[in-house]
Amino acid sequence: MKLRTRWRKIIKDIWGNKTRSLLVILSIAVGVAAIGMINNTMTMLRRDLFGAHSRGNPASVSLYISPFDTDLAGAVEAMREVETVQAHRTLSARLIRADGAPAENITLDIVPGFDKVAINRFSIERGAEIPGIRKILLERCSADGLGIDIGDTIIIETEGKQRYSLTVSGIVHDLYLIPYNILGDATGYVSMDTLRWMGEQAYYSRLDVIVAENEGDREHALAVAAQARDRVIETSGYQVYRIAIPGINSDPGEHWGQSQINGFVLVLQVMSVLAIFLSGGLVVNSISAILSQQIRQIGILRSIGAVRSQLVGMYVANVLVLSVAGLAMGLPLGMLGAWWLTNFAAGYLNFDVTAITPDPTVTILQVAVGLVMPIVVAFFPIVSGTRISVYDAIYQQGLAGDRQEGGIDGLLAKIRNLHPPVMLSLRNTFRKKARLAFTLITLTLAGAMFMSVFSTRASLTGQINQIARYVAFDASLSVTPGLTRASVERTAMRIPGVTVAEGWVSSGGILMRADGSEGDEIQVYGIPYNSVTIDPLLIDGRWLQADDTNGVVINDDFLEHAPETAVGSSITVKIADQNRTYEIVGIVSKHLSGSRVYMTYDTFSKATGRSNQADMVRVRLDADKIGSSAEQKRLAAEIEDRFQDAGMSQSSSQTQDEIFGSFTGPFDIILMVLVIMAGLLAVVGGLSLAGTMGMNVMERTREIGVLRAVGANNQAVRQVVVIEGVVVGLISWLLAVAVSGPAGVALAGAVVYAVFKAPVNFQYSFEGLAIWLVVIVLIGVFSSLAPARSAARLTVREVLDYE
Amino acid sequence: MFFCEVSRIIVTSDETTGSGPAPLLDLRCIVKVYQTPAGDLFALKDIDLQVYPGEFVAVVGKSGAGKSTLINVITGIDRPTSGEIIIGGTPIHSLKEDQLARWRGKNLGVVFQFFQLLPNLNLIENITIAMDVCNTYPVREHEKRALALLDQVGIAEHGYKVPAKISGGQQQRVAIARALANDPPVIVADEPTGNLDERTAGEIFDLFENLVEQGRTLLVVTHDREIAARATRQVEIADGKLQGIGVRG
Ligand SMILES: Nc1ncnc2c1ncn2[C@@H]1O[C@H](COP(=O)(O)OP(=O)(O)O)[C@@H](O)[C@H]1O
Ligand SMILES: [Mg+2]
Repeated sequence: MKLRTRWRKIIKDIWGNKTRSLLVILSIAVGVAAIGMINNTMTMLRRDLFGAHSRGNPASVSLYISPFDTDLAGAVEAMREVETVQAHRTLSARLIRADGAPAENITLDIVPGFDKVAINRFSIERGAEIPGIRKILLERCSADGLGIDIGDTIIIETEGKQRYSLTVSGIVHDLYLIPYNILGDATGYVSMDTLRWMGEQAYYSRLDVIVAENEGDREHALAVAAQARDRVIETSGYQVYRIAIPGINSDPGEHWGQSQINGFVLVLQVMSVLAIFLSGGLVVNSISAILSQQIRQIGILRSIGAVRSQLVGMYVANVLVLSVAGLAMGLPLGMLGAWWLTNFAAGYLNFDVTAITPDPTVTILQVAVGLVMPIVVAFFPIVSGTRISVYDAIYQQGLAGDRQEGGIDGLLAKIRNLHPPVMLSLRNTFRKKARLAFTLITLTLAGAMFMSVFSTRASLTGQINQIARYVAFDASLSVTPGLTRASVERTAMRIPGVTVAEGWVSSGGILMRADGSEGDEIQVYGIPYNSVTIDPLLIDGRWLQADDTNGVVINDDFLEHAPETAVGSSITVKIADQNRTYEIVGIVSKHLSGSRVYMTYDTFSKATGRSNQADMVRVRLDADKIGSSAEQKRLAAEIEDRFQDAGMSQSSSQTQDEIFGSFTGPFDIILMVLVIMAGLLAVVGGLSLAGTMGMNVMERTREIGVLRAVGANNQAVRQVVVIEGVVVGLISWLLAVAVSGPAGVALAGAVVYAVFKAPVNFQYSFEGLAIWLVVIVLIGVFSSLAPARSAARLTVREVLDYE
Repeated sequence: MFFCEVSRIIVTSDETTGSGPAPLLDLRCIVKVYQTPAGDLFALKDIDLQVYPGEFVAVVGKSGAGKSTLINVITGIDRPTSGEIIIGGTPIHSLKEDQLARWRGKNLGVVFQFFQLLPNLNLIENITIAMDVCNTYPVREHEKRALALLDQVGIAEHGYKVPAKISGGQQQRVAIARALANDPPVIVADEPTGNLDERTAGEIFDLFENLVEQGRTLLVVTHDREIAARATRQVEIADGKLQGIGVRG
């Protein structure tokens, strides 16, 4: 069957405006693809990461307990509030590389029965299911990262500096660990017998618990753990060192990176919504252009019998063709993006992708956005554009053109004195107000988003750097309890290069409620009042002073659980089984590692009866600045050796870098994607500006002819167009600067809240502002170059032919 | 200001007051006022005009006399300020925009001075689009019919070219072919030869004469009296007024 002529006209219209049609198709495709990529990835993540995660019985809360056996685990499990428990022994050790490469940290994980793990169930990928004696199973990320496989022999060095050869007999997949590629810590699984053979004592040190009800409730999980501690564990003579919800700010039962993933997804969602807005703007922009270019054709069609609904139908069909093309492009593109992002996430977060499949509801959403949105936004311009009467369409257009010529004549008279291209550009810029508005909105959105991304980055980095202030050391090491502070500091100071060594004491404590009942766990630190390894950011009050006997400083995290606390109020803390009341003299910024109370050594000694002792030592090479990553590593190894040799420590040292590795890794990715998305927005904004400039040039064909007639050369004609593009860009930059403040607060706030569950400490990025200024000028120049070139190509004769 | 005797006496066009055939075009007391910054401008003053089937009427007059305004009012492209226009029994002054467009598409072929072809459609498509929007003839016959019409105006061999590739005279032939697309009884043209040289203008009028021979009724505006002489009747308009109704044949 023959295609009706009006449909053929539509196809020819689209084909005749190849560049603009392509821009619209591309922008719709980008929006559709973004939605598909993000939401399909989310669906696959829910299925393959979170689904698999929850199928393996994630722990609600973990208790770190003094050496215990499975009987204690049974007793806790018998509690009504507890559903299941799982005992673990974790042992920090070093993995000695045969090839002389630096030793790696490895955590050895021991469970009572490898075939009946109840919580955080890992799976055996290959090889043996149960590690036999002198055998080890390796987590697959660690095995991959270290290039070790089944059958290889590895050397494990325990904290007592003894080395043991173990044969790798299997590969384990454990979703519940922060993987080796992120944390840099390997994980291996051995049996208790192997541990005994390695000269270690057989006991468990961590108890994972799943609560019986309200599984996702943080407060409840902590309360159940506190009950287990009070009613079962401590009454049986064990000590609870620490109670913690697993993960980085996760809720009970959630994946360890849930918050970060949420933040990441949120940002992507915002970006995709923006991409959709931008493509909507481009659709409106483009259809308005077609309509204004075809006013006379609309008149002709009416004069030969077309009714309004047919005209509306034709232009809707025009948009529909573009939408279908955009959708057809965007759907596979989105799937490709989802495939990439999911696989990237799978590699990064150590999960398996079962299948790359589109989610039907996401596809429906994409169709709605790809097909319905363009038509909805184009409908108003189409309806109002086809309303014009035949008379006006056929006759008035010429009159309007004549009037414009008059304006040009007047202008041309004036510009003899002024710099012509600038004058003409400025005048052009403001002629088509609606179109200008659309381009400006698009570019402003892109710009504001770009700047917001930079502000988000600045805020995130600022927030992370704030945390760094509380670990202002090159290396720190836990020392054997009972050592004096003086001997610890002296030993550390003997290491060449060390200029600062501070012994700190710490203890768990319990914040007492007003009614005398026990509240949250807190960490209490006794430190030098003039400590150099902490750089407190006071948000209220003052820092510790030498003569503080009862004054303490708390961190902002403390306020999360005790919001009514303020400088000047007093808190009662149970330390070493004694209730003590302190006055709060200062509050410092967030640590993101729980509630802390800082006090002077003396205050701490009085509370605990431990005077002049140290639990850890924090050292620095340079009192003024933190050392490089390599320097930190070297110092950490050195201090570890020294203290172990002196029998003063059995622990592994930590560097500031290592502590931040786990924090910053995910952020770097968030920020990278943010910048990529902002770049994408800039591209769409540029496309929109290019479209507008193309339209303007076409409409001004006659004006350009006049310019040429009065002797303007190619260069001058190009200049007029390019200056206009840059002027539009600069205006959008100003608008974007105005919007970027609130937009930045919103985006940074959302991201920071999702990641840290804390309000943002907003930092505006002037860097983003400056970069966007450069980008927008480049966009202005490049998006008007092609239109400018075609304008310069127009000859006077072609111009006269145009009408 | 103007007084029109026939106004509101004749209500329907089907009834004729006198003897002889009923007029195909019946303009009664047409007044057209343009509002301009300089005040009201009376472009048409009390126009009464009857055109009978098979007539070839030439409307002549100086530039600015009101010829185009008259044509536009007849085609419904513009609305009269007052008065009645009944064409083929349809009171077109009372039709709504869409009804008017559809009616015009089927009953009135319009030829413009500047051809007004759709630039990105080829000649055949410029004709079939008229059949398409009016839903006349089965779609599969459109092209055949368009080719036949192009043949009739003598440029069938250019059917697949776009308008920009042919001469002005040829474009006007296409416009005439398009006007015939839905086989309307009346063809109206505003200065169809205004943009053409003398020889080409003559050829266009040859075509018009052919159409009259086929039994169509034509109303053609021109300011060229020599060409107008080829019509069966001349009507002169000056300053918005008809200068005495010319005689038939
Ligand atoms: N849209 C309009 N607005 C105001 N005046 C108009 C308009 N169209 C035509 N005129 C005026 O009406 C008169 C008749 O014009 P027109 O019918 O175009 O004359 P012709 O076609 O005979 O040259 C002229 O004086 C013209 O200036
Ligand atoms: Mg005229």
